[in-house]
Amino acid sequence: MTRTAISVDHIARVEGHGNVHLSIKDGAVETCEMNVVEPARLFESMVVGRKFADVPYIASRVCGICSASHVITDILAIERIFGVEVTDRTRALRELLVYGSYLQNHASHLFVFAAPDFLDMASVFPLAKANPELFDQALGLKSLGNQLCNLVGGRSIHPITAVVGGFTHEPSRDEYLAMADKLDAEREFARAVVDLFNGFAVPDIATQGDMMAMVAEGRYPVADSRWARFLDAGVTFDADRACEQVEEYEVSHSAALFARCRQTGKTYFTGALARINASWGALSQEAKVAAAKAGLRPPERNPFLNNVAQAVEVLDALGRCADLCRKLAEPDGPFEGDSAPVPFEVRAGVGTGFTEAPRGTVFHQLELDDAGRVVHATIMTPTAQNCANLEADIRVLAEKLIADGAEAPEVRVEVEKLVRAYDPCFSCSVH
Amino acid sequence: MGCGNDERQARDLPRVVVVGLASCFGCQLQITNVEEHLTDVLGQIDLRYWQLASSEPMPEEFDVAVIEGAVTTEESEATVRKLRERAKCVIALGACAATAGIPGIAARNFFKRPSQVYKDVPAACGSMVVPRPVCAVIDVDYTVRCCPVDTMDFIDVLQRALYGSNKFDRTGTMCGQCKRNGTDCFFDQGQLCLGLVTVAGCGAKCVNLGRACNGCRGLSPDANLDAARAACVRAGVDPDDLDEALALFNQVERVQSARE
Repeated sequence: MTRTAISVDHIARVEGHGNVHLSIKDGAVETCEMNVVEPARLFESMVVGRKFADVPYIASRVCGICSASHVITDILAIERIFGVEVTDRTRALRELLVYGSYLQNHASHLFVFAAPDFLDMASVFPLAKANPELFDQALGLKSLGNQLCNLVGGRSIHPITAVVGGFTHEPSRDEYLAMADKLDAEREFARAVVDLFNGFAVPDIATQGDMMAMVAEGRYPVADSRWARFLDAGVTFDADRACEQVEEYEVSHSAALFARCRQTGKTYFTGALARINASWGALSQEAKVAAAKAGLRPPERNPFLNNVAQAVEVLDALGRCADLCRKLAEPDGPFEGDSAPVPFEVRAGVGTGFTEAPRGTVFHQLELDDAGRVVHATIMTPTAQNCANLEADIRVLAEKLIADGAEAPEVRVEVEKLVRAYDPCFSCSVH
Repeated sequence: MGCGNDERQARDLPRVVVVGLASCFGCQLQITNVEEHLTDVLGQIDLRYWQLASSEPMPEEFDVAVIEGAVTTEESEATVRKLRERAKCVIALGACAATAGIPGIAARNFFKRPSQVYKDVPAACGSMVVPRPVCAVIDVDYTVRCCPVDTMDFIDVLQRALYGSNKFDRTGTMCGQCKRNGTDCFFDQGQLCLGLVTVAGCGAKCVNLGRACNGCRGLSPDANLDAARAACVRAGVDPDDLDEALALFNQVERVQSARE
């Protein structure tokens, strides 16, 4: 009998702290643990008793990079409870803000976190010497995401301007138009990024779990649909039922709760790959062509292709955001009018906010009392939903590699790559 | 105390490590947001460890430790003590490290809270302790304030740490900044703003965009909370609202001053 233990402590180039522990006995994976050791900040407890207006501001701090998504999700939960109808212009600005965080997140993930895996580098920094043009372009794309968040939200992370009912500040017409031009100019590089990631060899595995994404007929929704779908199970539900449809459960080796589909008991993947599988038909023509060229077509079940899926989303988002910016700049366009906060009345109730954060579906369920103070809160972040499926996929990957004759060091390296392909945010998952 | 001494300049570049504790990782992201200046900044230092951006392991020796996040476990308390022993210079990065920030909200009634989130607190949570800022555990040489930090502010502090500086820390409150910016005062509209007790230095970014100050930069040493409560009453704002708002980023200080 031979037993090998493979441990990856402090997985590098991810947000937050996580380890992987595998034990292999006689060529079979005996145990596999995704060990999330991020300190618990206890957000769901700390918002209790606080006034509704503070809550999006606090929830933003669940995650630096998904901060725009957490703010919007929380605002949507509050507006659901108060029955607030915002203007189309506010909705467009929220979409733009969430997409800004997609550009930030995907550029950071693809180049700072994932690319070094395939370029045989410990970090992205050596790329500055090895390929200065690519390094500058990658930082340029990341910077553009920051500029877009800055334009709409007032700063690159933890947006200032988004509040219940609307926005406290709006960019000028000239700023929108200048941004639209910059977004368009970035598309050529985005097409090259899809090709670049398509060129990186990855193990051929298929996730055993389900996938979950926000859906809307004929659209690629990120912040304005209440419908979520488990793609394999074919279960579509309103966000208000998220806590019934998703079963969160505790495991001792993770400070993050794990999650599975309550109806099927299956773990699931959420993120760019799930969105592309769910809403392929609504991608822009340009993004669809680039994806198809990269061999990414639904149904795609290899979690490693989440990297390519993010690159496709960057291309798709650039076009979408340029279009939104131009429409927002038109005085008589589809978003004419105002984004200033609309008046509303505070009332008690329960409501769930729902968005597609860059890393997947995020739900905030809030219960408010009649003074608008939080009675109860449940936050389900993308990575908390992904952890159980990631753990299952690590097992699938390790079994395949061992069957192919791989030694422990190679298994270790590929497992790290898989964890990063999921683009986890462990700090977010614990919250 | 700084890191820019003659002995250093005679040697190689200062060796820097970046460590994240309980936080959203946003301030570390703000470092990556240096963007076009990234190579200039990296050219001045020997970046030895940064889990967020590199798979290089933690070295035994280094000169500067940049610490983001609040101390919320015994394990992280041991980590910061070890960093202090080894580093010649410690930089606290962001509100969580400076004031315990948002994680500090949980400081009040802390021991009741884990069971509000977990049925059985997972072993992976470690040994939880009441959230504290880094400066409550060890001596800190420099602090980059705000939630999130401003990228240029970080570069400025890093320069001071590397080369030394005779600049004093700012102590004035935000109100002077708004006067210079010519922005309207929230109190004139009967609304609370924490600018009157918060240390200046961010340019009053939030107020410029139509939102009142939330105090993320921390209390000014010049802050007069009793006078601020009186100002609230004059403006028709409930002074209890001031205390509640202060809990967002300055809870730990409030809990401490209540004990004293």
